[in-house]
Amino acid sequence: MSTPGSVPTDRASRGAPYTPESAGAPPSEERPRRERKRLVRWQGLIPLALVLLLLGAFWLLFGDRVVRQTASEAATKALGTQVDIASLEVREGESSIELRGLAIADPFDLRRNVVAAERIRVELDPVPLLEKKLVIRRFSVGGVRLGTARDEPARRIDDNGFAATTLRGLREWAAKYRHPVLALTPIDTIRQIALDPSQLGTVRAATALAARADSVRTALETQWRGLALRETFDSSEALVTRLAGASPRTLGIDGTRRAIADVRRVVREIEEAKQRVEALHRDARAGVATLDRGVGSLDDARRADYAFARGLLKLPSLEGPEIGGALFGPVTLDRYQQVVYWAELAQKYMPPGLRPRPQQGPERLRAAGATVAFPKVRTYPDFHLQSGEIDFALAGGAARGSYTARLADLTTTPALVGRPLRFSARRDAAGSAIGALQVSAVIDHVGGRMRDSILATGSDLTIPGFALPGLPLRVEPGTGTSRLDFVKNGDRVAARFTVRSSSVRWLPDSARARELNALEALVTRVVSGLNDLEVTANVTGPIRAPAIAISSNLDRAVAARVREVAGEEIARAESRVRAEVDRIVAERTAPVRARVGELRAESERRVAEARARLEEERQKLQGRLDSLTGGLIPR
Amino acid sequence: MLTLLKLLQSLIKTLHSDGTPGQVAAGMALGAVLGLTPLMNVHNLVILSIILVLNVSFGGAMLGWALFLPMGFLLDPVFDDIGRRLLLETPALSSTWTAAFNTPVIPYTNFNNTIVLGSFVAWLALSLPIFFAARYAVSRYRATVGERVRRSRFYQAVTASKAYNVYTWFRAD
Repeated sequence: MSTPGSVPTDRASRGAPYTPESAGAPPSEERPRRERKRLVRWQGLIPLALVLLLLGAFWLLFGDRVVRQTASEAATKALGTQVDIASLEVREGESSIELRGLAIADPFDLRRNVVAAERIRVELDPVPLLEKKLVIRRFSVGGVRLGTARDEPARRIDDNGFAATTLRGLREWAAKYRHPVLALTPIDTIRQIALDPSQLGTVRAATALAARADSVRTALETQWRGLALRETFDSSEALVTRLAGASPRTLGIDGTRRAIADVRRVVREIEEAKQRVEALHRDARAGVATLDRGVGSLDDARRADYAFARGLLKLPSLEGPEIGGALFGPVTLDRYQQVVYWAELAQKYMPPGLRPRPQQGPERLRAAGATVAFPKVRTYPDFHLQSGEIDFALAGGAARGSYTARLADLTTTPALVGRPLRFSARRDAAGSAIGALQVSAVIDHVGGRMRDSILATGSDLTIPGFALPGLPLRVEPGTGTSRLDFVKNGDRVAARFTVRSSSVRWLPDSARARELNALEALVTRVVSGLNDLEVTANVTGPIRAPAIAISSNLDRAVAARVREVAGEEIARAESRVRAEVDRIVAERTAPVRARVGELRAESERRVAEARARLEEERQKLQGRLDSLTGGLIPR
Repeated sequence: MLTLLKLLQSLIKTLHSDGTPGQVAAGMALGAVLGLTPLMNVHNLVILSIILVLNVSFGGAMLGWALFLPMGFLLDPVFDDIGRRLLLETPALSSTWTAAFNTPVIPYTNFNNTIVLGSFVAWLALSLPIFFAARYAVSRYRATVGERVRRSRFYQAVTASKAYNVYTWFRAD
């Protein structure tokens, strides 16, 4: 690898001083012949072998630890919750991995684990490993526990990863979701309220509409001035006056020719002015139509104002869904968030189709970049768990019972596998908190449209108790049944959650004990007399902002009794509120409606006048033209 | 400390007598890939093997690595952009990538990462300019200030260490 200007290194190795050749030195006849360099340095294989040996030794000593840490970090990032692995052993000879002490923290309750397993064995297909793909032939789990308490709370995964973002999004949505409030205001406190007009949406909308009407009017005025109709009329009048009484005889041939040309020019100007007027008319109609729509929306705003003003009265809740939402909304929202979170993760990590998929690259000192997966038809997916089975029994504790779970075709590329993920689980533990539970799920991302469905039914369940919002009561539903139907079709969701119990107990909540007003005492008596509880929550709509409707026998009973006792008084109060809103709205919107009407009428009037005047001028000029030409030149 | 000293020795020796300017430049061009691309990747193991086995200057490679390492960090956004264009925004290459990344062993190169691919492609494009520029620079250095540096006390002190002997194993012939 010698090059011109270089010095053979054997000279240096013999200890001769380095002497660069001077640029101007004459070529020497005794210059040594250029020596051919060896291309390969075989002694370099020794350090290379050492490097490989070191890598091998590092793998033997620390390989398991590195894989454990990497797996733990990757799972934590993917699931958005802390995943701990106590130990991991890679068995290269068997192409299998054995994990011990797996614990996945509950993202919604950092002091608990969603699932913990003492032992997991994963047998891999070795051939796909060459393509950096994980195809799991067998997957076995032992010592599974659900919902266990953690020794230390899990750390918050506060990053911008998909899972953390999804979790944040759901929490933000839940925080913004406005539960109906169970209002049991004493009847005797319902009085006339003093409404501040600026609080009403209709008034704000009317003010904005008035400003818009002014700006439309200003714009139309500017356009009118831009039409320059006055100049056109003046020009036409001057020509008509000049040609009054003129004839070809008085004007001569040249004068007549010039007069005809002038008439034609001014007629052309009038036609152009007509076109401008028509264009302005179209603009004016569009502007007024927008204002009309604004006037129409005032009625919608008024309906919202009725609800707002009614809210200020703090009337007792009368409607069944409202009471149901108030009583069971928080519980339903909590469950819904959990289901949606896992469904969103399934959608993210099991996308349909075979398009290249960029994902954030690995964390390192250098930038992560994006790592792109290129799925290929009839090849292995990046990850595929062909089938997994879990059968185990727990003898003691709250989780005692026999468990069976089956999982098939869990993969990152469903389109390659061609079959949806199927999951089923069953628990039989008579006498425990969850006597019998069956869960089945189909996650179908094979085609273009993703459809996930989950059905969970539980019987002989000990339904957890909860505090009744608005009343110092605690509900202990006792043992009952529960069913969850969840279907996610694309970005829309339809879910139904039902809980039934026939051994409900109502206990005073000492932490919230207080003196009850007459209405609260009534409701407390009503609900305390109920032994059955049946709650149904329906969630439908876009997955991130669905509508939630909750109904129960409880709210029907409460609504009926409240209506019986206080219905008349409440109706009177509501009527007063509506009248007050109507008064304020009429006062504030009437000028705006009038202004819009005036604008419409004025623009129509001005357009009509302009049209008539232009036509009149055109007729006059045409008359002059006819008299000059004797009607021989066609119009 | 010993490692640093050895590295310093190798760098200084490289500039003075360790191989021809061509060998040093070839080492620097190969070493540049270690600095420009993320280190922990299979292709860098191959490059290291080439540096050790081919008759190029090992010191030159270390010098190239040291010089181009900060550039690698600085140019990551550019590499990311190049990688994205090649992997995601060039439909003509899509079938090539699909075939390549479904071929055994190839996925372990991590060339499906935008930074790895972008930096490697940038190195491929820059390797010849690096080689020629380095060869010219080493020749000029040796022809101008090299001899004065060689006579300096600093140079004598650095090259006196016996630890340097280990390094001579990889010295270009």
